[in-house]
Amino acid sequence: MANRTYEVMYIINPETDAEKIEKLNEAVGKLIEKEGGEIVRMDDIGIRNLAYPIEKKESGHYVLFEINGTGQEIAELERRMRVNDMVMRYMTVRVDEDRKKAAAIKAKRDARNEKRATRATTVKVEEAEAVDAQ
Amino acid sequence: MAEREMEVINDRDGFGVGEDVIGDRPRRYQRRRPRQMVPDYLDWKDIEYLGQFVPERGKIMPRRISGISAKDQRRISTAIKRARSMAMLPFVAD
Repeated sequence: MANRTYEVMYIINPETDAEKIEKLNEAVGKLIEKEGGEIVRMDDIGIRNLAYPIEKKESGHYVLFEINGTGQEIAELERRMRVNDMVMRYMTVRVDEDRKKAAAIKAKRDARNEKRATRATTVKVEEAEAVDAQ
Repeated sequence: MAEREMEVINDRDGFGVGEDVIGDRPRRYQRRRPRQMVPDYLDWKDIEYLGQFVPERGKIMPRRISGISAKDQRRISTAIKRARSMAMLPFVAD
């Protein structure tokens, strides 16, 4: 199965204890590894204000995971988050394709710039040679 | 509705806003902004960057005002929508 990269972000109820949040994050990490995923990055962003109230709360505890995997662990993770009362909102975004595309665009642009640069220098060299000949 | 959208735009400075008489009634127009650079990889979590395309009301800025390409507009609008669903940007702000 093709390897994919996902970003999983979830918002935890800000009133939960720090311990519980820690435990939940650990559980998420373990679950991912058990299902064959690999954690690239784990970022506990912390409490930040919400742009609009969710479950009548104005702020939430944000956590972000970046996962390499097949998609199986995502299905399991989402199932768990759906039933967990602490998680107010979650979202998974597949990022590898967009990143690949961005890299391709960048490579193309770099190649073009290099071509331009070499052309400019060769023109200069030719000019210099012409001057020398005179 | 269209009228109201115009007013929101008129609140912002830096746009060339004016009136033109075409036919029997004046039409408002805005000058396009110079083309902007949109990064190759647009991160939906980058609220500071996306905020450029979200005026006070919380709506997504139309392309005719931001002056970005159609492709970039699609990318930006999906990024804004993702950020909205994670409560990082408002659906409506008033």
